[in-house]
Amino acid sequence: MANTETIPVTAQGTAKKRKRLSYSIWFILPAFILYTAFVIYPTLNSVNLSFTSWDGVSDEIRYIGFDNFVEMFRSERVYNALKNTLILSLSLVVLENIAALILAILVDQVRWFKSLFRSIFYFPVLLSGIVMGFVWAIIFNFNFGVISQLLDRIGLSDWKIDWLGNPNYALLAIIITTVWKGSGYYMIIYLAGLQGIPPELNEAAAIDGANRWQRFRHITFPLLASAMTVSVMLSMIGALKIFDQIAVMTDGGPGFATETLTYIVYKVGFGELRQGYGTALSLMLFVLILIVSLIQIKLLRKREVQM
Amino acid sequence: MDKVKLRIEIIMFIAALVLAVLFFFPVFFSLISAFKTNGEILRNAMSLPSGLYLDSFKYLLTETDFPKAMLNSLILTVVSIVCMIGIIPMAAYAIERTGKKWTNAVYVYFLAGMMIPFQVYMIPLFKEMKTLGLYGTLTAPILIYISGSVGMGVLLYTSFIKGIPAEIEEAAAIDGCTRVRTFWQIVFPLLGPCTASMVVLQGLGIWNDFLMPSLVLHSDQRTLIVEIFRFVGELASQWDLVFAGTTMSIVPVLIVFIALQKYFVKGIAAGATKG
Repeated sequence: MANTETIPVTAQGTAKKRKRLSYSIWFILPAFILYTAFVIYPTLNSVNLSFTSWDGVSDEIRYIGFDNFVEMFRSERVYNALKNTLILSLSLVVLENIAALILAILVDQVRWFKSLFRSIFYFPVLLSGIVMGFVWAIIFNFNFGVISQLLDRIGLSDWKIDWLGNPNYALLAIIITTVWKGSGYYMIIYLAGLQGIPPELNEAAAIDGANRWQRFRHITFPLLASAMTVSVMLSMIGALKIFDQIAVMTDGGPGFATETLTYIVYKVGFGELRQGYGTALSLMLFVLILIVSLIQIKLLRKREVQM
Repeated sequence: MDKVKLRIEIIMFIAALVLAVLFFFPVFFSLISAFKTNGEILRNAMSLPSGLYLDSFKYLLTETDFPKAMLNSLILTVVSIVCMIGIIPMAAYAIERTGKKWTNAVYVYFLAGMMIPFQVYMIPLFKEMKTLGLYGTLTAPILIYISGSVGMGVLLYTSFIKGIPAEIEEAAAIDGCTRVRTFWQIVFPLLGPCTASMVVLQGLGIWNDFLMPSLVLHSDQRTLIVEIFRFVGELASQWDLVFAGTTMSIVPVLIVFIALQKYFVKGIAAGATKG
């Protein structure tokens, strides 16, 4: 008796469950197929290609074992690119975050035209790196550029610098352009952090006689820590991926002065038609980004536990 | 006391103003230069245009592939976005509402893609597109854009769907509404703000993209940004023309930004704090 009653219920339960399962599969499947075919498969295939001497054009793909990796670790050019990548990333993380924090505080505190300021600081984020890289290349131009013209006008022609033609300054020019273009993005993150701080805390501290700096140092700044973790990590990953500005402003030059890991992958793979070697280099970039991402996840978890 | 406060506020305002001028200058510079002759730009880059010189625009629109490139960019952006919105919210909805072990695994699998930069898989992808016979078609970049946005899109939508109560959907299911109809007619309209953020952020990313379209498209299918890049190389001495081109790429972005400002900011804040 008890048995006959329970059977239909379970049967109905599994049918319902199966129906639920089947709709989920159909909803997820298109995204799953595309993502697997055009993100995961080529990523895995890059491991395969990195053991070949493929040129990117011919049908024949020859396996050469670890030759690409051996060449990579022996190459001066790769070490130079790694060095440029590290200089670029570290300077950008520091400068973009300082700039973003200053911008966020100004936008948060300023009394007039708050949203107009926010829009102006944020707008460069939305523009193409190619387009704005070109505009900045002209601002930096030695003969006719805006900076040179300004220096000429105030009689400081000796101070003119061939920004993009001088290996000592080219990377700096890329850094300036990127800070200008990227800071607004991180500003939004800090701004969200600032607006999440309850105003009572600052009011209470003000009543207790804390001045603006003390309030910033002991209330605002510690409470921005999680926004800062996110912003630092995103700017780090962003810096490792920079491509457009370099392509349009210096093409990796002069010499190899602005060649980064991202750029060398492109140059070797599509400029010099050594795509096997290019994929080997791209795996190095991937490992670098993976390390940064894992550190990020770890830091964020730790912070969650503390809170 | 009030006097000190006012002084601090004025100092802050001036600081913001100076920075705003610095930040806006490159955009302003490229907009004014588009209306100047080459000679004017070379003589005095900072001056305002002496008249409304429109020849560069006329030249670009009649003598070059610029209009075609703009059309290509528009097609790529619109089609990719429509497909993304047709695919990603459904996947995110199923993942969030099913809440089983396997959907969690799929979720993690999708999110992992956010850590893979395009440069890592671009060479094998390029090869794959050739094998599939898609190299040199507009389909290739569209498929790549949709696939590349799955991670970020699923992240945004699942966190948004979490905040929507499931009761309405359950009521619809009892009334005999199919899952697909329930989703599109009841759930999807509630996702408006999320969809708006997705459309503006991804749309701009596609509009501005350079590397991928420069690799998988033939020369007669250049997008706007690829065309501008070619100008910079070819017309290196004709800054007036290049500036007209940059202006034509900036103005649509400016218009979209002014019209849909709040969604840009919301999308970033959501993506950043959850990511």
